[in-house]
Order: sequence, then C-alpha cells, then structure tokens
Amino acid sequence: MSTPKDSLKNKGASISAKPNTKEGILDFLTKAMDKGVFDAILIPMRVPAGDSFAYVLIKDKSLLKDATPLPSVMSVQGAKAVSSVTRLGKGNMKIAAVMRPCEIRATIELSKLGQTDLENITLISMDCPGVLPVSDFLNAPEKNIKLFNESVQKWDDKAMRPVCQICDKSSMVSGDIHIGTLGAKKDTFFIISNSQKGNDVLEKLGVDLKENIDSWQAKVRSISEEKLKKRKKAHKDLKSEIGGIDNLVDAFSQCINCHNCMSVCPVCYCRLCYFDSDKVKHPSEDYLQSAESKGSIRFLPDTILFQMGRMMHMSLSCVSCGACEDACPMSIPVAQIFSMIADETQGLFDYVSGRNLDEPIPLVAYKEEELHEMEDAND
Amino acid sequence: MKKDEEFMPKILAFLCNWCSYAGADMAGTSRLKYPPSILPIRVMCSSRVDPLFVIRAYLGGADGVLVAGCHPGDCHYDKGNYYTRRRFAMLKKVTEEVGLESDRLRLSWVSASEGPRYAKTATDFTEKIKKLGENSAKNKIFL
Amino acid sequence: MIKALQINKNFEQGVIELLKFLLENGKVKGVFTLKKISKDGTVAYSLITKPDELKDAVPFYPLMPVNAGKLLSRFTLKGSTNKPVVAVVKPCELRAFVELIKREQGSLENLFIISSTCGGVYPLKMAADGTVEKNLPKYWDAVKKGETLTELRSACKACEEFIPYTADMTVDLIGKSDIDKKCVILLNNEKGEELAKGMKGEFLAKELDKAKMDKIRSKREAEKKKLFDEIETKMNGMDGLIEIFGRCIGCHGCMRVCPICYCKLCEFESSDSEYRPSNYESDLKKRGGVRVPPGTIYYQLGRLTHIGISCVGCGSCEDACPVDIPLSLIFKKVGESVQKMFDYTPGKNVEEDIPLVTFEKEEFAEVED
Repeated sequence: MSTPKDSLKNKGASISAKPNTKEGILDFLTKAMDKGVFDAILIPMRVPAGDSFAYVLIKDKSLLKDATPLPSVMSVQGAKAVSSVTRLGKGNMKIAAVMRPCEIRATIELSKLGQTDLENITLISMDCPGVLPVSDFLNAPEKNIKLFNESVQKWDDKAMRPVCQICDKSSMVSGDIHIGTLGAKKDTFFIISNSQKGNDVLEKLGVDLKENIDSWQAKVRSISEEKLKKRKKAHKDLKSEIGGIDNLVDAFSQCINCHNCMSVCPVCYCRLCYFDSDKVKHPSEDYLQSAESKGSIRFLPDTILFQMGRMMHMSLSCVSCGACEDACPMSIPVAQIFSMIADETQGLFDYVSGRNLDEPIPLVAYKEEELHEMEDAND
Repeated sequence: MKKDEEFMPKILAFLCNWCSYAGADMAGTSRLKYPPSILPIRVMCSSRVDPLFVIRAYLGGADGVLVAGCHPGDCHYDKGNYYTRRRFAMLKKVTEEVGLESDRLRLSWVSASEGPRYAKTATDFTEKIKKLGENSAKNKIFL
Repeated sequence: MIKALQINKNFEQGVIELLKFLLENGKVKGVFTLKKISKDGTVAYSLITKPDELKDAVPFYPLMPVNAGKLLSRFTLKGSTNKPVVAVVKPCELRAFVELIKREQGSLENLFIISSTCGGVYPLKMAADGTVEKNLPKYWDAVKKGETLTELRSACKACEEFIPYTADMTVDLIGKSDIDKKCVILLNNEKGEELAKGMKGEFLAKELDKAKMDKIRSKREAEKKKLFDEIETKMNGMDGLIEIFGRCIGCHGCMRVCPICYCKLCEFESSDSEYRPSNYESDLKKRGGVRVPPGTIYYQLGRLTHIGISCVGCGSCEDACPVDIPLSLIFKKVGESVQKMFDYTPGKNVEEDIPLVTFEKEEFAEVED
C-alpha cells in the first residue's frame, strides 16, 4: 500500500449521514456499486433468524439496505472472511470489505502471511466503540442490538468485550479508506484515504478530499490516550495475576483443549495446527512414564504447551480482537492474556500488527546489529 | 426464468460407467425421448458417490439428484452397489430427518442394455421434480 | 444374578479404595479417572500412578470436560498399552471408545473399564461459572431417587443408554437410596472378577434392579420425545435449517470435541471444501449474495452423514458451541433415526461392524427405484 500524498494526510471528505450514519455508509456503498467502482461488497448482515450477524459477499446491491456496517457482535473475524474469498487468488471482482479496524489489521497480517490476495480488495474501516461479547448478546438479541446502538451513540464501552474496553487502536487507519464518525459535525461523517487505492476509489466517486479532519484526529487522539492508560493498568494487573507457573496453570486449568480459540483466531491460519498434529500424539508408554514421574498427570497433558505454543506462534500478529475469548466455552480470559503478551512481543520489535502492509513481520526480517541484550555477554 | 416458461428441472445424475452410463448411452443411440433435465456425471462405480456430492449438489440448487448403478449382484466390482444402497438409505434418512425434500434424491438400478428403462426413469423423475417445484436452495444466501 | 463386590462405604470412597488396591497390588500400573486438579476445584481426567494421588479422585463427578472415549483413543492410538491400566468412564464415553476401536483408533488390550449407571452430567457452562460444586447435593439426591434434573445437558436428559454395555465392572448408582453407605460394584465378566480378587469387601450375587431401570428409561424416553419434538418443529426444511444454524460461526468446535470425529484433517477444513474465487463468482451469478465463509449447512449436514451412524449422544458438541446451537439434540435425533434403520446401537458390541461397511444382498428395497 503506497502512502498517499502528504498534503492529503490531514484532509478528508465530509459525507452526509442522513438519516443516520449507517444509512449514510450504505448509501455511499450503493453509489459505489452503481458507478461500477465495486462489483461486490463484503459486509455483515443480520441472519434470517435475527439472532446473529454474518459476513455476506453482496453482489445484488438491493441487499445492501439490509447490511449492518458495525454489527453488535463479531461472529466471524472479518479477516477470516476476506481470506476465505481471496486466499486462492484475487478473482475477477473488485470488492470492498467493510470491517472494524482490528479486522482490517488482521487482514493485513494475513496478507503478509500469504493467506489473502488484496489486489482487488478495498479495505474500508470505521471508528469502533467495541463489540458485545457473543454470550451476552445471545441472552436477548433484540434488546442487545438496541443496547449496542445506544452505546455507539454515546461511545460508551461498558458492555463491550473486555479487550475492547482497553483497545487504544479502535480508530487506527491501516486499510485503504476510513470512515471517521468521531468528531464529525452532526449528520455527517468523514471519509479519509490511506492509500493510492483509496485515493483512486474516492476520485472515481467524485469525493474530494479537501476537508480539514482536525476534529476527528483530536477526538481519536484523546480517546486513544485514555484507552492506553486503561490498557497499561489492565495489563499490569493481569501480569501479576497470571505470572509464574502456578498462576499460569491455574489461569488455564479449566481449558478443555477444544482449540476453539485457535479456530476463530484470524491469524491462526494453519490447515492442520501443530497442536492437532501427530507431533503431540504419543504412545501410551510416554504418557505412563510422565505419570510415573509425577504420580499423576492431567490427561491429555499439554494444555499449557498449547496455550504458550500458540502465543509464540501468533503473538507478533495478534490484533487483540477478542474473537478467542468469545469462542472459549470455559470463559477463560484468553484474549486478555494473549493481548497482553502480544503487546510485549510486538513492543520488543517496535512492531504494531497490521499497521502497514509494507512492514514485515519481525521474525522474517533482521538487522545485523540488534537485540544484543538477549545474547550472552562476550567476555 | 420467464413466467410462462415451463419449469425444466436440473437433475444431476451420477451414472456408473459399466451399467447405467452405458444404459443412458443406449437410450441416446436408440433415439429414445426423455426430458432435457438430466446432467450426467460418469463415475466408475455407483459406490464412488460420496453422500457429500449429493449434499453439495442439493445445496448448490440442483432440483434433483439421481444415483444410478448396476443391479445388485451385477456390480462390475462385485459389491460396490450394495454399499451404495446402504449409503443412500442413510443419506435419505438424514435429509428426511432435517425436513429437506428427500424425494429429490433417487436411487436407480439400470443395466447397460436397459436404454428404455433409463429413459423411463429420467422421464418419471423429471415429472416428480416438476411437481415438487424448484429447489429453494438456489436462492439462499445464508447456506 | 452375577458376582458383585460390595464395599460398606459410600460409593465414591468404595471405588477409590478399589482403585487404590489395584495400584498398590500392582494389578494395574495406572488409573484413568476424573480428579480435582487445582485448588479452585477444576475437575479433569487424569492418569494416576501413585496411590496417594487418588485422594483427589472424583470418579463419578457430574461433569464431562472431554469425552473420555476420545482420551482413551488418544492413549492407545499409537498402540495398546503394554502396562495394565484401569479407566473409570461414563457409559456414553465407553460406547464412543468402542466405536473408535471399530475404526482402528484405539485398543482395549490391557485396559480395564469401570463404569456405572449414569445420572447424567452438568453442562460445562456450570463449570465455567463455578456452580457445579454447590449443586452436587442436588445432583446426588436426584440420582438416588432415579430422577433427572432439568439443569443437566439436554443430551443426558434424553439418554436411554445409561447402563454401560461392555464395562468390566459396573457401579450400581441410579435409583439406589443407600449409595452413601454401600458401594455395589457388579463384576460383569472374568476380567472384572480377576481384577477384584483379593479386594476387601463382600462378594455377593447381585444384579441391577430391572424394574427400576425400566422405569427410569421410560421417563428418559418421554423427555427425549419432548425434546426431539421441539427440535423437529425448528428443523422444518431449508428455511428451518438456515434459521437453526444461522448463528454458526464455522469454528468446528463441535467436530473437534466429538469423540467420533477422529479425522486428522477434517474434510470440511481440507482444500476439498475450500471456495475458489471462481466458486464465489459462479455462486454470485445465481444468488445476490453468499455468506462468508460459505458452507455452514454443508458442514452440518455433512457431519451428520459422517458420524450420525455412531453418535453416542454424549452432548460434548453442544457444550463446545460458542453460540448455543442445540447441536446435541439435532445430532442425537438424526443419529438415532439412522441407527434405528440398521437396528444398530453404537458401542454396544465391539465385534459388530459399523452398518456402512457391511451389507445384505437383499435389503432396503424401499429406497431403490
């Protein structure tokens, strides 16, 4: 993704959001399809039974009126949806993917991992107040959709996923186009371009990027700073809670090794996970020997191996979306733990997952002089 | 499909190479008439047909799925069609239990020399499917 | 009447003493059973070799964190155990293990099985909420009376197979008011008798109270019919299926925890089931939109055809589902109707072939043309 002209970085467009933001966004997308800028839109829709939302690749633009750009639950992480469409090639359709910032970031990470071809995809993000935990939502879907919409109006994250409440990147722009609702005048939202692709799309739509977006930037900055404070404190508390082998084992004691967390994680793309493979399947003698050395072992063992192993495998690309925690049947705070570790590992390399498509994942790059503090002293 | 056009079903037919495909071929060479609803797929034996093929076809919008093989006892590979029969019975039961129209699935035994039987099966099945109407799965988004 | 071992202690103590005896006397080198593994009371299956560790064993705890059949299969996947091990498992877990053995995914050699008449388990959500412990008295009360609590897994409420088929020993639990004082362990075969020889206790002739078992079974049957009827109204054709599986997020957790699903790489996660851009494009020619990732109904129907014949109705699938789809009832209902068609009870007899790998020369004329 090449960077747009500097002069455009602080400018955007102000779009009418009548009668409300949702309709404004859908109108924008419909116009884009009318003009042939997009052949299809990948956007969530409410499922027929009304009790959840699912991503739909929409070709028939009349379906757009039933789409929900910011659904109350994240049933499938958007990056998984994009990867499902373009893992095996870029296809012939120009597609706009309308998702939350963490989903866009995960998509970018997947692109770096060779799991999605973004050439024909335009990534459109929007400011995100968070998302409701799925188990809370399912208790009363209609009521919770109302609650979510009210929370969006007030930008109140009390009811959102725990990791959403400490997310300082909820307005991060790393895709092609960003919809800025914060700090916008009444009945409008900002459209901001972040790439040449974004510029081209907006040009075709006759959208001039001439407006000053200072008010959006200021609002985003203040919210992000506040969230960052909360995040740092939450991580500090969590670290002392789960630090050490005993606390760690306790934190994951309820884990039933269902691997749901791995399945729903957008970054975990391996068709056959290492922890489902033969590598962790041992003959009975090995298990008995292990049991004999300790007197008793949990069966199957390797719960912490799975959790720490997965941390090691995906932490550099973790976008703290929280899909894992939603999927855990034992209500283990997986997302909070993994998210905290991810901040540390990414911080080690000054890396932010999904920030920039051109930035390689730290483990596939190196500097000849670095990280000396990790090595043994030479003398 | 225009309103005044009669509904011509799309029926996927899995035909075993040695018997039913040859039988279908015979119907053709004998210039026997039957509706243009059948889309044949040749397999070496009817037991090659994985229930997943049938489910995929059904969910893909096929109005009917026909699985045809040799008569039991005459299978070119000895016992393939016995397994087909059991598998098909299981599949039909599953579709019944979830409320899908199991009448859209049919198992037939057609030998290589039974051209007329093939034509009759195709005609009968097409009529049945016409009565059932179009498979609504064609238009579903949330499959 | 068969030989039984009676220990004049409460049922849990009695069994733990038996397990201790077996370990101490070298009759087994390992005990596989539920155990409290952490100070916060988490219960998980454990492989125990030191008799002392049995103090934390809770063999009949009303929880199934993982179907033990899957675990026993993993234990014996790379070959039967060369040292004798005894496992305490629930009837459906044993049936699942037997179904897996038929698929060459495990071995009973050198493995002794203790099971019991089963009062069901609580859903895992209760373990996550930490409310199992306080509901234990209520549970055992119901077991003694032969009643089924509404808080149990729906699969358990509808379960008629609460008496194990192939266990070497069966602990007589449900419908017995004196399990707090007496532990009666039926020795079902020679293996069971050999194992119990030398254990402190009375050896008597006993059997399960058939009339009581039948009464409990008919209560379960009635509940099953009720639950199945409820599900049937929802599964009424294409639209019903789309509604009931609408929330499905394709995590495949149900498949991963299912004891019968043993495939290294599931068909529905393999490249066979992957959509190419051309698949999306041709699909979109027919429909205005396509759900992404696609193939939700395909996966569910496909899994029904794959495992329905051996579904033991344990309910692990429903507990693993993050969006509360009533999977265990759907799979149990469809599974049982397929099994009934072949007069097959999964896990009843390890020598009995899975119906789809065998055939009769004359049968099922009703499905042929």
